Amino acid sequence: MLKKKLGALITGIAVAATVLAGCGNSNAGDPKTITFWTPLTGEDGAYMDNLVKEYNATNPDIKVKHVVTADMYTKISTVLSSGKGVPDLAIIHADRVPGYVKQNQLENMSTVMQAQPELKEDNYLPQAWGAGNIDGTQYTVPLDIHSNVMYYNKDLLKKYDAESFLDDGNVTVDELLSLKGKLAEGDFAVNDALLSWVMLAQVQNLGGDIQQDGKPTVNTDIIKTAIEDVKQVNDAGLMTPFGEDGYLMFQSGNVLFSTDGTWSSTAHASVEGLNFGVTNVYSVSPDKFTNRASSHLFAMFNNEKRSDEKEQGVAAFLEFIRENSIEWAKAGQIPASKEVVESPDFKNYMQSFFTTDEKEIESLYIYTYEYYPYVAEAFDTYINDLVRGNTPIDEGLQTMQKTVEDKIAEANSGAKTDGK
Amino acid sequence: MKKKLNLAPAFFVGPHLILFLVFVVIPTVYGIYASFTQWNLSGAPNWVGFANYHTILFDTSSTFHNQFFNGLKNTLLFVLLTVPPLIILPLMIAVALSHKKVKGKTFIQSVLYVPGLISISAAALIFTLIFNKQLGITGNVFGSTVAWATHQPYAWITIIVLTIWGGIGGNMIIYRASISGVAEELYESAELDGAGPIRKFFSITLPSINFPLIYTFVMTTAGAFNVFGQPLMMTDGGPQQSTAVLMMYIRQLAFGSGESIAGMASAMAVLLGLVILVISALQYYVMNRNTN
Repeated sequence: MLKKKLGALITGIAVAATVLAGCGNSNAGDPKTITFWTPLTGEDGAYMDNLVKEYNATNPDIKVKHVVTADMYTKISTVLSSGKGVPDLAIIHADRVPGYVKQNQLENMSTVMQAQPELKEDNYLPQAWGAGNIDGTQYTVPLDIHSNVMYYNKDLLKKYDAESFLDDGNVTVDELLSLKGKLAEGDFAVNDALLSWVMLAQVQNLGGDIQQDGKPTVNTDIIKTAIEDVKQVNDAGLMTPFGEDGYLMFQSGNVLFSTDGTWSSTAHASVEGLNFGVTNVYSVSPDKFTNRASSHLFAMFNNEKRSDEKEQGVAAFLEFIRENSIEWAKAGQIPASKEVVESPDFKNYMQSFFTTDEKEIESLYIYTYEYYPYVAEAFDTYINDLVRGNTPIDEGLQTMQKTVEDKIAEANSGAKTDGK
Repeated sequence: MKKKLNLAPAFFVGPHLILFLVFVVIPTVYGIYASFTQWNLSGAPNWVGFANYHTILFDTSSTFHNQFFNGLKNTLLFVLLTVPPLIILPLMIAVALSHKKVKGKTFIQSVLYVPGLISISAAALIFTLIFNKQLGITGNVFGSTVAWATHQPYAWITIIVLTIWGGIGGNMIIYRASISGVAEELYESAELDGAGPIRKFFSITLPSINFPLIYTFVMTTAGAFNVFGQPLMMTDGGPQQSTAVLMMYIRQLAFGSGESIAGMASAMAVLLGLVILVISALQYYVMNRNTN
């Protein structure tokens, strides 16, 4: 009797243990599979699936298994601290590289680059390649550049005689302001999509930066000027009202310019009757325009169990991507591979506008400041209220600066005593 | 005589105990430990004693102090605005439904209960559209010209309406069940004594469902303190962070972009836990004392 009960108890525990153990990543140890994590949810994930499928169809020695991982960065922290289930390959965003490198969590790409000699700086758009280079060591190989851009409604530009704005590729705030009083009720010059990215671009346009010698510089005269200038557009009633869906208003044909992302072109294209084109994000300066961009980068997190053979496999996969990532252009992104962006096929995609000449390529600006994520978070939280006049600019910038400084202090003291 | 070892209880309790240990006890203990450290989630935690708590509670110039108190203020506001309706409305509905002449009770009950089964994110998307100025009912049918999510007090109204819509059903079912358990004779004898419906409600119904009332009150309050999904989806904390609740700050610090500040986030979470604990204990004490 007792034995029976004990048996049942043990069975129960075993079942529970199996269920819990099932939470682990069972594929990570497979020597014939490259486990590849990406944060690419939605359509992007589907395009990446296609690329991986195409690659696996070439019958490589080691196949790639693509795992779309929502909340990937949190999961990465967990697997790195336990050392179990670390993916063989992952896609990370450009602004994450300095942080991971500082914490010594990325393996450098030298073995991979040796295995496939075409995986080199010359074959990629410079800022995408450079985003993975810290103190001369290459930690990532880029997949793409995805950028803040500005779509325009061709019909509305014609209606309001504003086509000349596009002449020099630089739509200035002054040009936008010239529309004051000319628009019909319900029409607006520009929306507030990705406004914090637009503001981060203005910082570059005015020759400023978000850091100096590694210290954050958010509360500066340059950033204040940038906000004041863009605020004029809001104050003149030319920006879509606060809280309204400006993206949707562009699609419904009520907004001349929409400052959203390269990836939106597919969504805009599916709107019937929307006759649109793409150009650079508007600028507060007549001399310079910038499109704040980021980049998806292939990276290998530290993992002792990753065999040399697997690294060869990773190299082969990255080389395949370098040659074949035109598929990725369908997702609205700008592939980082020069071979792809210089191919005639790429010209069919709207975002090829940004690789037409050196000046355009240069305009795609990727922030690589170590604490950029904190700065971006502060911009996301406060910038709308500043541009809309809900919070005084000086007060807002002070709070933003302090927020970033406090977070950096907290992150630094944690890291220092770690011995890292 | 040697007592026989009886493993049957362990068999029944065991699986739950294991899950409770793995998903509740260990994370809680580790969370409390983390609150005394500086930790970026991936390196080793670095013991700092009460430094995080000191910063949050007393360093008035610190961002974390401001975030904590702004978050706590907004969370308290949410609790005050949602808990009373989430108790009173379901109770009124349950009492109304218990009337003999009401028809289609099960149908009404289902209609009110189903929203609670919908995930908060899905519900929030629907309500964002309902309150959308161009597409929504508020703008097109009622002629509202306000962008609800970015103006107060409308931002709070959207959050509260969504919460009540989703939260009524659960409590209502509990009240319905407990009201149906009250002996019919009590009402009949009260009627003979000349008691009206209001007197019957306060003298018979309420005292009879005392325990379910305490339970729902405590649980609804604790749940409201943990609010996260509704403001995140409906207003993203705006305008001017007036709907940014504590859980949003905690999550952003621990799992936001950039290096994690998990120690500080854990300390905020522990403080929130303490607030919930104290308030729940008070509620239980006050309500129990009143009824005895």
